[in-house]
Amino acid sequence: MQPSLIKRSFLLYLLTAMSLGAMAQGNFSPYSQMGIGDLEDGFYNRTTGLANTGIAYRSNRFLINNNPASFSDLANQYFTMETSLRGSFISYAGSPVDIGATQSADITFRRLAMGIKVSKHWGSSIGLVPFSTQNYEFNVPYAIQGSGTEIANHFYSGHGSVNKAYWANSYEFFHHVSIGAEAGYIFGQLNQKDIIQAGNGATQVSTTNDINLQNLYMTYGMQIYGNAGKHWSWGIGGTFSNKADLLASYNKLVLGADSSTLQNNELQQRYLSLPNSFGVGLQLTHNQHFTWLADYRYQNWNQVQAKNVYPGQDYSIASSERGSFGFEISKKKTLYNTKVELSYFQSGVYYGNSYLQINGEQIKDMGITAGFGINSLKTPLAYAITFNYGIKGTTKNNLVRENYFNVNFLINYGSIWFTKGKKFE
Amino acid sequence: MTIHKYPRKKLLFLYSSLLAVFFLTSCQKQPNLRFGSSYTNDLSGSNVVVVDTSTVLVSTIYEDSTSTNGTGYLMVGTYQDPSLGTVTSRAFFQVAPPTSLPSLSPVNNTYDSIALLVFFKVGNPWYGDSTSLQNYKVNQVDTSYQLSPPYLTSYSSVSSLPVDPTPLGQTGPIFIYPSPGPRDSFPLTSQNSRDTVKIRLDDNLGHQLYNMVYSLSDSINNATSFQNWFHGLCLSTDGIASGGRGAVYGFKDSCVMRIYYRTAGVFAQQYIDFPITQRSLAFNSIRTNYAGTPLVNIRKPTGYYGQAPPATSSKVTGNAGYIQSITGLNVRLSFPTIKAIALRPDYIGLLRATLTVRPVPDSWSTTWRLAPQLGIYTTDQNNLIGTPIPATGVSGAQTGAMVVDYFNPQTVAYTYDVTAFVKAIITNNATNADSLGLILSAPAPANVADFRRVVVADQSYQVNQRTILSVYYISLFPHN
Repeated sequence: MQPSLIKRSFLLYLLTAMSLGAMAQGNFSPYSQMGIGDLEDGFYNRTTGLANTGIAYRSNRFLINNNPASFSDLANQYFTMETSLRGSFISYAGSPVDIGATQSADITFRRLAMGIKVSKHWGSSIGLVPFSTQNYEFNVPYAIQGSGTEIANHFYSGHGSVNKAYWANSYEFFHHVSIGAEAGYIFGQLNQKDIIQAGNGATQVSTTNDINLQNLYMTYGMQIYGNAGKHWSWGIGGTFSNKADLLASYNKLVLGADSSTLQNNELQQRYLSLPNSFGVGLQLTHNQHFTWLADYRYQNWNQVQAKNVYPGQDYSIASSERGSFGFEISKKKTLYNTKVELSYFQSGVYYGNSYLQINGEQIKDMGITAGFGINSLKTPLAYAITFNYGIKGTTKNNLVRENYFNVNFLINYGSIWFTKGKKFE
Repeated sequence: MTIHKYPRKKLLFLYSSLLAVFFLTSCQKQPNLRFGSSYTNDLSGSNVVVVDTSTVLVSTIYEDSTSTNGTGYLMVGTYQDPSLGTVTSRAFFQVAPPTSLPSLSPVNNTYDSIALLVFFKVGNPWYGDSTSLQNYKVNQVDTSYQLSPPYLTSYSSVSSLPVDPTPLGQTGPIFIYPSPGPRDSFPLTSQNSRDTVKIRLDDNLGHQLYNMVYSLSDSINNATSFQNWFHGLCLSTDGIASGGRGAVYGFKDSCVMRIYYRTAGVFAQQYIDFPITQRSLAFNSIRTNYAGTPLVNIRKPTGYYGQAPPATSSKVTGNAGYIQSITGLNVRLSFPTIKAIALRPDYIGLLRATLTVRPVPDSWSTTWRLAPQLGIYTTDQNNLIGTPIPATGVSGAQTGAMVVDYFNPQTVAYTYDVTAFVKAIITNNATNADSLGLILSAPAPANVADFRRVVVADQSYQVNQRTILSVYYISLFPHN
């Protein structure tokens, strides 16, 4: 297959993926109306099949944005590009769920990233990843104030997303230490629309509260790695994200039944703080064939929750944490004195507490993953599919439990970059 | 060279999985989650608030006359209404000579009788106690019956013409059953002549007219000459029969004065008709006597030309306003405190406004029936009927959509969408803004041809019985 044709095909895949993201209607997430929405736990990369365990993971082909220090392991003169799609099926349970409609599904574009090996020890990556999402709808019938008998309806809907565009750089020292830094720019909008409907469903007035968030968000990473004997290699990784104050700009727009603007106000700007967070990871590999990984991540929301003013009421913010384990079997083959990975199989398990505490319950998220990937020998493309089954939330205390099943597709394009016949050694 | 086939199978597996996800996700709908209401800050969004405690001032406008000429009906009768007193109506009209004259022979033709025939058809207006006996009498108009501009350009409810005190004829006590029975398609009278009331007239007049026909007199051949000689007729009743409450019936203005004669050898009775003519000059003369009712306190115009009809507050008319447009009574509604709604700190816009007009409890019944429709119009300090107020997004005048329910009278009301009116005044700081109001009046043609009335409750009545203006506005408290 000619390289130009490969590139065209890859671009076509990318465009298709992005358009699919635009077409899909996201699944409802009942807890996304609180805080700053559903914070994204996944990385949608090579580690997705490992329950997103990868703080200590390094790859010479794939972009492991779990830890910005990992990019120094990219193959020399290497250019790589990745995109990821996720199909998600959710079954909802709990007293607030209507038994006539308990399921939903969506397919969304999750990630676009590129990386290059700038020099022998310096890897760099840029990308766009989701940071948090918001998607919910519910009705609240109420008696019109002053009437007592006349019933109207508040139809609340929230649709928003906050994303992170990042540029990460990583540099290797002494073949055993890599240090990285990621400059991320958080941007996006959370909005809640409140439509008041008359008894016959006609819209009477709508209020849209928009919160625009933006600011820099820095993440630092370090990896220490080496060999233990002839058959084993090990790695330890750590990440740290500095507390960041997101500038929150509030806008309130009130429209009448005829869509005339009744009020359009920019309210006082505030800051929504993201807390300090850290992660540690371990990696152990045998014969470049079997790899075990473990991660622990912690976000200190207790530090900032008293200062922030979050949308909504009657819930609280608490520090979150997540632990995960992953196992990978990599099938390699020696070609022209070089070990080339042909395919890999992954599995993982995770458990975590989210940053939301509702009705006395801190929302938990747990699940298992399995993944499979193949690296084409004839084209620069690599493909992976991962499956993830998890449970988020609980049915206790009138809450909602989501039993979800995600299918993630990863497409990676990798090629030697600007060789002009020369290669770094 | 080894060809690796397994990547193709694995690729096929990948593509199949991708396609399966596309297909399955396209088939799914969103769930219905009743979750989230407890965690939403109510003050973050706008709300709808209704204010139905605004002051509604009810007053009665009295117009001294109404245009009761050419209405299509001859309204005749007297009744005594416990709310509006005694109302009497007489009909004045003219008849024309026959359009074609028969050739009469003194040998073969003989005069029989003369009568005035009036018709009460299905759907004709009537009001009062239909069980009351009626005694219709006919008097001849005693003076010239024609307009004389510029002083007399039309006839009205207060107009009257002198009549010969001696009646030309009377029916004697009769009943009229205004609504057809289950086997009939027309009202009935106790005269057993279907929907016709026949008033036998004086034979002297009959003979005189018969001879004029026979002799082909000029007065018979020329309509103007006939009118100059036979000015017109007045149809009235003889008051209220003993023990009754009386009623007014509206006869069609297609009545006819008929001379009956016989022809030798012809079995069927023959006749010569003098039909009603100049219908635009036919008018109903109406008199009211409010003695013994709260309307005795009503302010009336003092009589100078161009005076605005005065408004009388409901406080002096028994805490009610009165609508009987044919007798000049309409209701004006004013809203002196409505602007205070727009001054509320959370007010950001008007959503809609509804006016509910309720009749005074026990003021209406199967005898004293409610007006089926009431029109709503703008007015100002002149108390004149202005433009009709349409409902939002709907063309055509509003008439209240009242549904009579004798079993649940508390539910009976006239309701109007007055959003356009309230929007115009709620933030209006013009000089005359406070004088703007609404007038309730029977819509045409009922305003000149129907005696059904409404006694409107003011705000002294309890909440579910009074007239209320409900203003729905969009509420949003200021946010920092």
